[in-house]
Amino acid sequence: MAGDIVLGYDGTDGSKAALRVAVSVARAFDAPLTIVFGYEPNPMGGETADYKDQLEKIGSDMLRTAVAEANALDPSVQVEPIVAALRPAESLLEAALERQARVIVVGGTGERPILGAILGSVPHKLLHRSTVPVLVVPADGE
Amino acid sequence: MTTTTADSGELGATPLGEPPGGKGLKTGALGMVSSLVIGVASTAPAYSLAATLGFVTFYVGVRSPAVMLLAFVPMLFIAAAYYYLNRADPDCGTTFTWVTRAIGPKTGWMAGWGILVTDLVVMPNLASVAGVYTFSLFGAHGIAADSSGFWVTFVGVAWLVIMTAICYIGIELSARTQVALLGAEIVILVVFAVAALAKVYGGGIAHSIHPAWAWFDPFKIPSLGALSAGMLLAVFIYWGWDTAVTVNEEARDTRRTPGRAALLATIVLLLIYVIVSTAAQAFHGPGFLTNHSDDVLGHLAKDVLGSPWDKLLIIAVLTSASASTQTTVLPAARSSLSMAVHKAFPKRFADIHPRFLSPGFSTLVFGAVAIVWYVGLTLISPNDVLANSILALGFGIAFYYGLTGFACVFYYRRHIFRSMKNFIFIGLAPLLGAVMLTILFFVAIFYYSDPANSNTGNQAWFPALHFSFHIFHWHLYVKKGLGPPLVLGVGLLLIGVPLMVIWRLRHPEFFRRDREVAESVDAPAPPLTPGVTPVVD
Repeated sequence: MAGDIVLGYDGTDGSKAALRVAVSVARAFDAPLTIVFGYEPNPMGGETADYKDQLEKIGSDMLRTAVAEANALDPSVQVEPIVAALRPAESLLEAALERQARVIVVGGTGERPILGAILGSVPHKLLHRSTVPVLVVPADGE
Repeated sequence: MTTTTADSGELGATPLGEPPGGKGLKTGALGMVSSLVIGVASTAPAYSLAATLGFVTFYVGVRSPAVMLLAFVPMLFIAAAYYYLNRADPDCGTTFTWVTRAIGPKTGWMAGWGILVTDLVVMPNLASVAGVYTFSLFGAHGIAADSSGFWVTFVGVAWLVIMTAICYIGIELSARTQVALLGAEIVILVVFAVAALAKVYGGGIAHSIHPAWAWFDPFKIPSLGALSAGMLLAVFIYWGWDTAVTVNEEARDTRRTPGRAALLATIVLLLIYVIVSTAAQAFHGPGFLTNHSDDVLGHLAKDVLGSPWDKLLIIAVLTSASASTQTTVLPAARSSLSMAVHKAFPKRFADIHPRFLSPGFSTLVFGAVAIVWYVGLTLISPNDVLANSILALGFGIAFYYGLTGFACVFYYRRHIFRSMKNFIFIGLAPLLGAVMLTILFFVAIFYYSDPANSNTGNQAWFPALHFSFHIFHWHLYVKKGLGPPLVLGVGLLLIGVPLMVIWRLRHPEFFRRDREVAESVDAPAPPLTPGVTPVVD
């Protein structure tokens, strides 16, 4: 369980690019790859149960695609998907802590930096808070 | 820098091919302060006061503090129902799901419709208050005074667009910012009340009156109709604090947190409402509040706090209105999502935006309908948008909160007499709350059926309709037309009936279900629609 490569995946182009990089990093270190999808509904809206179920379904679907993609890229890399009911950055930090991760890999915010500034960008949070190295992969570069 | 948050737990692995086991995942359970903040912020005290004070005094005069106290009683009782039903089934459908289980799918569908309609009816009010107070903030009192004018409506529409976008994209304030905003709101309200009372006792304020115990005595209100009208308004000011009870669905093991948070939220709200309403009407008398009902806190703040401090109160109303808009749009979208998940609403309403992870379609539809509704209402009833929407709102709240109370009693009927605690909290309190709201609902129907009683200048809708009410030989009145609040409040609820029939004809699946009864007070209920919760194929 130690030395995992932890990848944040949300189906965006950035995260797809990150997936490809993460697979090659995992292969290089001969380390297992953990793919994380984190979500947390806004508690201001009150009850969230059905909403969470829907999010979990979306997350599972996304991760299934991601696992298939990773297996296609390199069948020898061992992949484990995780759906976590935590904010994306929190879920990556938690997963990294739990797996004693070697590195966290995420996609960059791509061509929409303003949106990232409003929403709070996951790479930005990780760079400030992570105790393990963070690898940010731009959407169009590999 | 720390790497973990204090209250987030370990992650659960979710191997694919098996159900994701949502209940096994430890999620960020909310603490006491967060629950309290969410409960109070959702109720939005500054906005609620700004929207209702002038109308409450119109109906009950100096007894407004009494009405604030009295309206609290059914809300507290219904909160018990929320608490226990949420324990059995935490579900974003809330009343929709619970009523469907306990009373049946048809009533459940109508309860869901009631939630959506109530959320919709409040939107013009929020937009209008936001528009009026935005202009007050910049000293444009001339524009603010014309609450149905082009500019106020324009800013109101912009407000709805921005708030819908915020919910659609999923922008959240950090917990710390929320605490700060709410804290500021409460401090400003208290400072305002204390300053007003100090000036009243200092003397020299026009039309000021000293508070008297009679203000807190609801039995001095002249008619039952006026009392119910005042109560329906005051029920609205407490609307939303049940989120403090239900928000904590994750913290199943920390049973005491949600209960305590709700209790504290209640005390905070009750104190604020009673103190501020007392101070506000003491300052220039209740007539002043009624005359400035569209911008009541703006006008008072000028005289009580003086420039530029009055702007603080206006800002508090605006931040409060933004919290309230958010806590209207989000639950409305989630309720329709829940209805769609349970096949009681078109499937698209369950769509989640793949990037923003919000219930995208539901949010956009609700926002769009709210804007159309707001502009439409402004055109139909110029100058009375605030009054009509706020008076109509009470019907929806009484309808679905009342149903929640009855659902609790029905659902737990086998357990009510097992202990004294059960009897009080899942029997007596919900039943009394529901009965009180039902009485309010029907008395208000009669009261508002007379257009003269709607605070909107005797405006009558459907003047071709002719009513006369007699009870034995007691001639109540003969009137032409209906009061707009009645048409809006009850009319929108009634539109749900044909819609439900249409839905039932086309998609009967949802309506083929039996009533349920609770097996236990503590255990969670089985999923409402089997196979809906963890589905991974």
